[in-house]
Amino acid sequence: MAESSCAVRDDQAWELLAYLTASAELCTREPHYYGTFRLIEAASRLIGFMLADSEASTNWLRDFKSEIDEKKLWMLRDREAYFAFLKEAAATLATHMNTEGGKR
Amino acid sequence: MRPAEFLQIVTSRRVVREFADAPLDEQDLLYILTAGRWATRGSNSRIHRLLVVQNRSVIRRVRAFSPGMLGSPAALIVICTDGGLAAAAEVQLDRDITPWIDVGTAAMNMMLAAHALGLGSCPVTSFSKGAVAVVLNLPLRVVPEFIVQLGRPFAMPRVSPSPVSRAALDEIVYWENYPG
Repeated sequence: MAESSCAVRDDQAWELLAYLTASAELCTREPHYYGTFRLIEAASRLIGFMLADSEASTNWLRDFKSEIDEKKLWMLRDREAYFAFLKEAAATLATHMNTEGGKR
Repeated sequence: MRPAEFLQIVTSRRVVREFADAPLDEQDLLYILTAGRWATRGSNSRIHRLLVVQNRSVIRRVRAFSPGMLGSPAALIVICTDGGLAAAAEVQLDRDITPWIDVGTAAMNMMLAAHALGLGSCPVTSFSKGAVAVVLNLPLRVVPEFIVQLGRPFAMPRVSPSPVSRAALDEIVYWENYPG
């Protein structure tokens, strides 16, 4: 079976590069938990780019991005729940990647 | 305006992070900028300038270097400190926090004005000042201090304050004596 492809456009890659580089600078002066927020936001932005051009795992990815975009803001008002979500998110992604349909 | 109307504007404003894909009216922008112009200033110093950005590609590039910008606003108002003006006014930027307070009062005035017009706003301080200065082609003496995002709200945020997000008045206010 042919491998599915997932191309990120040139402008999208530069945008993400700028975001990550600026985030690294901000991590030198912001509260430490903001670092986690920048990373999960980067994940959301990457999914947004993947959804624009990819047919693979579209529905699952769209739902995963929606969940991130809702729960990332918990960082501002319920940090315990936010940290619990971060633990859960990585496992959720790993589970999806292990499934037959989403094997990566 | 009655006091209750003013307080209604203050207490119903919320940060808006999702904006509709629609431009702003120039008259609305001028209204908001006028509110910023009338903000209080320490020592009546006038060392800040307001840069309005509506070009979509420039906004997108500013956003790329501004991790605190989660939405895609129709316009930005960048509050800048002009080092040349500060030097002329003998403001010691490295020692005096008053200019920072002035940035905050201008930002708050403009966000309240935007809300009074039914527009959404969101403050941004989490951005790379060096990178944003390059993107905006600012003179070397000018520092971007604060970004106000503006746009028509994609969805109105929840107005009722949640019990955990807003402290009660008697939690934050003391009368005459600060308790030990």
